[in-house]
Amino acid sequence: MSVFMDLNLTFSADRSNMQQIIDTAAYLGFSTVAVNYTFEPSIKKKETVPSPKPVEDLIDQLPIVQGRSRPIRVLNRLTLVLSELSHFRPNLTEYANFDLLAVQPTTEKLFHAACTQLEVDVISVAMTEKLPFFFKRAPVNVALERGLAFEVSYTAAIRDATMRRYTIANAVSLVQACKGKNVLVSSAAMKPQELRGPYDIINLCSLMGLSDEEAKRSVSSICRSLLLHAETRKAASGVISTKKSCGEKPQQQEAPISRNTGEGDSGEGCAPAAKRLKSQLTD
Amino acid sequence: MTYAGLPVVIVSRCSGPKVVEVKMSSKTLLNCETSSLRHPNNRLSAHLEQLPFNYRATVLLPDCGCAPSQLDETLRSFQSFYLVRNLPLYELLDEHLGRGSVCGLSYKTRIDEDNCAFLKANGHLCLSLDKDSYELLGIEGKACKPKSSRYVVSVDLNDRSMAPGRPRYQRLFSGLTSRLPLKMEFLLAPASGDPDALQPLLSRYEWSRHTPEVSCRLLTHLSRPDPLTCDLRSYDPFDLLEWLGAVQADISCDNAADSFLSSLACPHPSAQSSQSSFLLEVRGLLLPQNIMTLVKQLSHFLERPLSPPWAAVTVHGFMDNLHVHERHFYTLVLFPDHAYSLHLATPAS
Repeated sequence: MSVFMDLNLTFSADRSNMQQIIDTAAYLGFSTVAVNYTFEPSIKKKETVPSPKPVEDLIDQLPIVQGRSRPIRVLNRLTLVLSELSHFRPNLTEYANFDLLAVQPTTEKLFHAACTQLEVDVISVAMTEKLPFFFKRAPVNVALERGLAFEVSYTAAIRDATMRRYTIANAVSLVQACKGKNVLVSSAAMKPQELRGPYDIINLCSLMGLSDEEAKRSVSSICRSLLLHAETRKAASGVISTKKSCGEKPQQQEAPISRNTGEGDSGEGCAPAAKRLKSQLTD
Repeated sequence: MTYAGLPVVIVSRCSGPKVVEVKMSSKTLLNCETSSLRHPNNRLSAHLEQLPFNYRATVLLPDCGCAPSQLDETLRSFQSFYLVRNLPLYELLDEHLGRGSVCGLSYKTRIDEDNCAFLKANGHLCLSLDKDSYELLGIEGKACKPKSSRYVVSVDLNDRSMAPGRPRYQRLFSGLTSRLPLKMEFLLAPASGDPDALQPLLSRYEWSRHTPEVSCRLLTHLSRPDPLTCDLRSYDPFDLLEWLGAVQADISCDNAADSFLSSLACPHPSAQSSQSSFLLEVRGLLLPQNIMTLVKQLSHFLERPLSPPWAAVTVHGFMDNLHVHERHFYTLVLFPDHAYSLHLATPAS
């Protein structure tokens, strides 16, 4: 099991509010959090993708996670609310500033495209309204194979009773469609009071139909695998390994990266595949 | 067969400790064992060894006519412990350390998030590792449930094959130095009572010494089970444990009609105590031998005149200990005739 993470804290310009949210998250036991910047692209308005604020500007000092001796890690995440497929421009350089990329589809066609084509890490499902489409097994299975995760945010359930009904109903149908695999549970907290501890979230997941194991994975292992997935997405689309051949030019070979594990599979005659050391990002 | 209305299984009926298991939930059983300290077959020490690292012990003495100064002294005589920072794991394999003379556990590591290490007094080194660390280390271990997420590597340092220079020792040493160089904060205590056993480590790393904190609280007019009408052993174990927990946590057991905070109450028949009661607490790194010393002192204390009719000891183990989910604390109720009743939770098999 890996450390507990909350990959959706809503960004607000109020510095003291962000400080309080991150302090609360560290107090509750989350070792990593991601600040979420929401962006709704459209061709007409010509808006630019927001750039993430550096952590030093966001808060004064990173608090120590309760019960451990390391400070909390703060990452940046971008959520694109899509209403048309043409709005999504893949491999934009601005996306590289963010550690995690999420997309929120609003129609069935977009959901299908997000599961099968789009190069993202998380598919965020709007919890606060009745979904206009149903989850179909086929695109969901493709998304699972690609290593994407489906996100469920629980804060709406805390705020309002009607939202609670919608959240639970949507979450239950999502869990049924993906059979409990690759479900990411996060808050979309705007205030520190809306955060809940990791074990409370695990208990809450039982309402959504997730088993104990799956619930624990949704706040720990799946978050970690998503960060690895984002790293491979940002990296070059291949692995280059060189082998010196006695004074001749070094031979270069490209090999496709495996999405799920992030390790390159080299071709013949290259250095054998080795387990790479845990990088800073995914510690 | 029922015990206070709950379904039970009687485990042993013949001469020896009488054990009764009461079902708490689908995964846990409450094990209630009654026996005597003088009985040759009593398994109290074996039970105490199951929780090798404890951080807190509380003693409740109801209707105590005299102040328990002797017990206070016993608690203060427990060994001090050391917090060593940034200790690399391979140092625990050091032959100068003396196998079995030092015991301790990693501090500020969560059992379900990080890698944890435990060095027991019998010379066993247990590492609880996540999947990546286990695969990096390369030593054989057992997978915990749920499978493939947590692995436990247990090494007996007293075994001949683990002597320095042997291949198994070399493999573990090279694993902890090159492949998985883990550094953690450790809480260590000398298992044999000799403080010099830790000297090799303390001279090389940053450390701080701590002594156990002892506190004593006086309780007046404590509402407790009436000793005149009913023997404590006949009370329902759940009600008794609930009430003991409420007293130790300083929760009011009046069950007043206008109080919405707590509806806990003392099990019936109960009476209000006319004498004062004492609640002693010690916090630190407590080993099973410390608890055994406390139990023996308590049984002597209960023999004296003006002593309470019974004494309850609750020992809390570190939450990030191995086998933590079911049995991270136990309660021992002692009686003047050297009889005892031990309540602990065990996993349902």
